[in-house]
Amino acid sequence: MPNTDLFTWWALSISFSTIFLTLISMYLFIESKSRRKEGTQKKASVFRIGKSFAFVFVLVGLLVFYIFSIQLGTGVLSESIFVVGNIIVEALLVLYLLRNRETESENT
Amino acid sequence: MIVIAVVLGFYNEFKAEKTVQNLRQAVSIKAVVTREGKSSQIDSKLLVPGDLVSVYVGDLVPADMRIVKLKDLETNEATFTGESFPVEKTAEKLDIQNPTPQQLTNYLFMGSAVVHGTAQGIVVSTGKRTKLGAISGSLTRTHPETEFQKGVKSYGNMLLSLTIVLAVSIFLLDAFVAHKSLVWSLTFSLAVAVGLVPELMPAIVTISLSQGASRMANVKVVVKRLVSIEDFGNMNVLCTDKTGTLTEGKIALKDVYPLGEEKDHKLLTYSMLCNAAVIGDNIVGNPMDVAIWEYAKQVNAQGDVEPYNKVDEVSFDYQRRMMSVIVRKNGEYTLISKGAPESVFNRCKYADVSGRIELITDVQKAINDKFHSLSELGYRILAVAFRNVERKTSYSVEDEKDLTLLGFLIFTDPPKKDAHDAFDKLNDMGVAVKILTGDNELVAQTICEDLKIPIKKVVIGSDLMRMNWNEIKAVVEETTIFARVTPEQKLDIIKALKANKHVVGFLGDGVNDAPALYEADVGISVDTAVDVAKEAADIVLLEKDLLVLANGINEGRKIFGNTMKYILMGTSSNFGNMFSAAAASVFLPFEPMLASQILFMNLLYDISNMTLPTDNVDEEYVKMPKRWDMGFVRKYTLFFGPFSSLYDFLTFGIMLFIFGVAAPYALPGATDAVKLHAQSLFQAGWFVESFWTEVLVMFVIRTRRIPFFTSRPGKWLALLTLSCVAFGTILPFTVLGSFMGFAPLPPEYWLLLVLMVATYLLLVDAGKVFFYKICKY
Repeated sequence: MPNTDLFTWWALSISFSTIFLTLISMYLFIESKSRRKEGTQKKASVFRIGKSFAFVFVLVGLLVFYIFSIQLGTGVLSESIFVVGNIIVEALLVLYLLRNRETESENT
Repeated sequence: MIVIAVVLGFYNEFKAEKTVQNLRQAVSIKAVVTREGKSSQIDSKLLVPGDLVSVYVGDLVPADMRIVKLKDLETNEATFTGESFPVEKTAEKLDIQNPTPQQLTNYLFMGSAVVHGTAQGIVVSTGKRTKLGAISGSLTRTHPETEFQKGVKSYGNMLLSLTIVLAVSIFLLDAFVAHKSLVWSLTFSLAVAVGLVPELMPAIVTISLSQGASRMANVKVVVKRLVSIEDFGNMNVLCTDKTGTLTEGKIALKDVYPLGEEKDHKLLTYSMLCNAAVIGDNIVGNPMDVAIWEYAKQVNAQGDVEPYNKVDEVSFDYQRRMMSVIVRKNGEYTLISKGAPESVFNRCKYADVSGRIELITDVQKAINDKFHSLSELGYRILAVAFRNVERKTSYSVEDEKDLTLLGFLIFTDPPKKDAHDAFDKLNDMGVAVKILTGDNELVAQTICEDLKIPIKKVVIGSDLMRMNWNEIKAVVEETTIFARVTPEQKLDIIKALKANKHVVGFLGDGVNDAPALYEADVGISVDTAVDVAKEAADIVLLEKDLLVLANGINEGRKIFGNTMKYILMGTSSNFGNMFSAAAASVFLPFEPMLASQILFMNLLYDISNMTLPTDNVDEEYVKMPKRWDMGFVRKYTLFFGPFSSLYDFLTFGIMLFIFGVAAPYALPGATDAVKLHAQSLFQAGWFVESFWTEVLVMFVIRTRRIPFFTSRPGKWLALLTLSCVAFGTILPFTVLGSFMGFAPLPPEYWLLLVLMVATYLLLVDAGKVFFYKICKY
């Protein structure tokens, strides 16, 4: 890996934006829960909270994958891993969207 | 911009002045004044309190006056109070605590018209001190800011603070942490600042509004003040008068009520005979007499009067409050009287109950009950009576005795046929309708009941007068009908609703409505309204119809929807891009993008958005009114901005480490030319990725549905956006691209770019599902 300092800076930057996004998601989630506190809120189970944060897990997973594939540097292997990884993530996202779109359309 | 601001400012001032002039013209009238025993005609401007003024049929009242003498006086105060029926006046002293203007029947108000009789009055107030003058005064102030304008202002403030913080931070970090030159740091921070500003917003908003105005004109809604269109779509409370919107705005005979159970044509026939209307091609005369003939035409009963010959007439006068005619049929003479029930009752000895003639004292209770039950429903009632008379050369008031009461005529301003549907439609669209009328509460209640409009609460003007501001704010929430309200009270109701965070529309057409039209977020008037009301309004309906209004609201919501798309998209993706530019400028050994490249990308992005106003808007978006919610815009920016940054950083990584841009900077022997090429490659790679993500994400963000599959974008938007993407893609391979400092990108880059952008768009779509689950808008 040439220019280790630059890579560290880059990894920190991309991690920061992911962590920022994760924190914002958590903030919005908690804020929405506290807004509805007086309403008919169901008791939160670990599974329910975990499901609500599926989006955050996708984000963190993507971050790890991107840092890993970029860290491999120049070469066919790095590009191939990047291509395959993206295709897998896209397939997972499409499945997630199809499943969640149903509930979303009921809500709107 | 300064010139545009000056021109717009001048235009608004000019318009305000024109409104006031129209009002002045409307009230510039002559008056017959008696001073020191001599009568003369003078300009009403020269009247002073204490003058004795005479008014006659057809006159406009020149000042607010206390009546001292009158004969059969009736005035039309419809434009002033909203009351459709002429108002009967008196010279007597009234004993009412805190009277409303409608209750002051011994007063004449400037601007009202004398429709019957004559009067003399002492001038109490003139000019600006009159009720009408107070309305004129309220129109000289500046139009209050609409909800949309307030929203744009707070959005501008948010953007300004964000831009200043980011630009100053970039400058300080680049100059003092990354030790880049001051000039470069300043140029770059300024470019980032420009990149953050949605420069095209005024153009997008103006195009949206003008196109929307043109579409609204097709549905009979003329927009006078473009900026009110968004509020028109977003209004959640519509205050409207009763006359002409819920009712036809004219007097009609609702029904005839004979005393017995059986209905025959005798009552209607006698009403047509005892009638002062002139029958020709058109029926003209007293509105109630005209209404009787129109009713007869509807039930095809005009012919019933043919066997009768009119012999004589005892004219109407205000002491008797009734008229009589004498008719002949088959040699028999009959006197028919019609008038105010109390007057007719006093002259009746008998009652015709289903053809049986009974002593009126025997059926008095039933008659009184019927009369009172109809009065309580707010109807105007006339009674009809008759008696057979002997043949004479002339008849007089003395003959109006020992009459036989035949029945009642019930008059009303009839409800509009489609008013119930329109009311329901507005309710379904999330618009609560409140009725503000100068008319009495019984009439308003009956109309609502006829139309099956649910009434939560009825409040009258004198009740409002006793309430403090907090009580008014509370009562406006739960009240459907405000009756006997003054123009000032209408204004208070609008202000209270606005203070309760509603977007308020007001529909009115009278002079008395002008202040409320001015104060409402959306002032709506009609083509047939008085000039002052039309001038004060933001929107003019070519038909006074709530259904026309509903169609216009739909258009307003579409325009708001497309404007919000631009704001949400621009803020979030610009914020993300500029944030990554700022971070990269600190840790990269070269400029991540030149200032000229940032500005060019910004320009290209703005061009791609030019057709956004033509985009389709999802049905569910226009279903309910939306509000400009800065909290939502802030959350949206904070949530979707980092997506863009994440993929910018990913591109940095790909360019630096997969395509080897970082390598020359790690090698001690690398020449400047090699470094420059690496830098150009990086900038081209980021430019294309940044542009693709910034522009294509619009297809995801523009809808809450599945992009393309369940929500198709407008064709012009799709065409222009994809053309811009194509242009941005080939740019690094062109002379222009080379001139701007871009290097051609390798083939593998495109494969990675397509996959990366696809993941980005899917991730944003997944983020959208998460975001809208927790942030309702």
